[in-house]
Amino acid sequence: MYIENVTISSNEEIAMGIWRMSMNAPKIAAAYIGPGQFINILPNDNWEHPIRRPMSIASVNGNIVEIIYKIFGDMTHQLSRKNSGETINILGPLGNVFTEWDKKEVDPILIGGGVGLAPILNVYESCKNPIMIIGAKTAAEHFMEHDPKNNIYLTTDDGSMGIAGNALKAIDEIDVNENSFIFACGPEPMLHALQKYAIGKNIRAQLSVESYMGCGVGLCQGCVIERQNGQVQKHSYHEKYSLVCLDGPVYECSEVTFG
Amino acid sequence: MADLSVKIGDMIFKNPIFVASGTFGYGTENPELVDISKLGAIVTKSITLNPREGNPPPRIVETSSGMINSIGLANIGVEKYISDMLPIYEEMDTPIIMNIAGSSMTEYMDVMKKVEAVSSNIVGYEINISCPNVKEGGMEFGVDCEMTEKLTRELRKLTDRLLIMKLSPNVTDIAGIATSSENGGADAVSAINTVVGMSINHTSHFSDIHTTFGGLSGPAIKPVGLACVHKVYRAVNIPIIGIGGIVNSADVIEYFLAGSCSVQVGTANFRNPGITEIILNDLNNYLDEKGIDSISSLIGSVMTHD
Repeated sequence: MYIENVTISSNEEIAMGIWRMSMNAPKIAAAYIGPGQFINILPNDNWEHPIRRPMSIASVNGNIVEIIYKIFGDMTHQLSRKNSGETINILGPLGNVFTEWDKKEVDPILIGGGVGLAPILNVYESCKNPIMIIGAKTAAEHFMEHDPKNNIYLTTDDGSMGIAGNALKAIDEIDVNENSFIFACGPEPMLHALQKYAIGKNIRAQLSVESYMGCGVGLCQGCVIERQNGQVQKHSYHEKYSLVCLDGPVYECSEVTFG
Repeated sequence: MADLSVKIGDMIFKNPIFVASGTFGYGTENPELVDISKLGAIVTKSITLNPREGNPPPRIVETSSGMINSIGLANIGVEKYISDMLPIYEEMDTPIIMNIAGSSMTEYMDVMKKVEAVSSNIVGYEINISCPNVKEGGMEFGVDCEMTEKLTRELRKLTDRLLIMKLSPNVTDIAGIATSSENGGADAVSAINTVVGMSINHTSHFSDIHTTFGGLSGPAIKPVGLACVHKVYRAVNIPIIGIGGIVNSADVIEYFLAGSCSVQVGTANFRNPGITEIILNDLNNYLDEKGIDSISSLIGSVMTHD
């Protein structure tokens, strides 16, 4: 992992409140392993916001690392004000990766909710014939087209585009078989619902969880999620809680417990 | 180049920049991001007699120029510390100060006895009598002069290594607790631990921290830390290790002027685990520019208006 001052190559709003930023980050790009990994971002030098913000990597091409972020508060607002040519400080690449999506016998179902779509798009770019479901509150937050013929399903909570309802509603329209394998990232209620769904259908799922992080590198012990099994992974010291920054953010759905 | 070495008890540290307990793990975590050989010392995460899982999430939240944490003393327990960490420390050049937490006099003593019973190169103990986040965090000691003195005296009997009492700002009279530590035989005190704080989400109406209250740290508490250090400086003759919101070399200088003889960098490590190296370089430059030969000459030399 590296800490790099990187130059922004582009930063644009791609849907309502959803932004895409590309930056020239040669060291982090070179150390990048795959979809699921994240970087920890610091938009400026002042200490009004002491803590970095973790953001999933949406793609890596050459030296260019791309993220997709949603404006939540002041820090993401500041990030959106950055112009190309300006620099920000990033730490990464961090965390583990989605696995098995490239296996021949796997039929991937990629599901992204909210800004959870960043790592999902990342898998999508490399995946052969996946089904992808992207959920948002309303049509304005989508930047793709609802295209069931090409296995792209968009959902909106308010029914203004695609399938009305959440990602679970979209899954009902898909033929799920024993090779189906869910890869999902998004808010906890969505992941919790998908966990129940996958267990009920007896299909596998990998879930990338969101967590409030103090450091992203295992020092603060803040970003814990409760484990289901008592297996101690190499990075966390404890049986009950796993550190999302080091053990995650991607977990097999049988590994974790949602609140 | 100015002399950055500082003396605490009989120990000379090559520089006064330490990393604070709970912000640097066990000192073995981030080899890529920080050259630990540059550090004056590492204070390791609080160790209790038995392993602790810590508090349920959410454990942290950012606040204005700070953060609140309630980790709950998650730690591997003293047996694992001895078996897994002490051998690693033998290979490290950086002095290790072990932080101990407990819920009773016996627990603190038992942890120290176990470590004293084995051979190790740790240079001292910092005694956490000020964790605000767990019932068993030692706060009953940290807010009571008599208990502090008694605990310090009992621990003093167990070790010849450095004995540092870590003080809480969440008390009426921090100078009194510091004096009790000195009377009990402590080599030094460190101040401050986190300030009790709370954060509420105005949209969801939920507390942002599972345990409702947590410990505030970061630049937001620097004025509290400086005030505590200076109050303690006026009350005791033992060295003070300043803690609270230190993020750059100017903060270090301020803590020295208030009365610190060394400092611990805490929350800033979360933002950049290598920040201590930057602080150290800047500190060297500052002292050279000002023509100050020894950083120790600054201790307590704040000019006040009274």
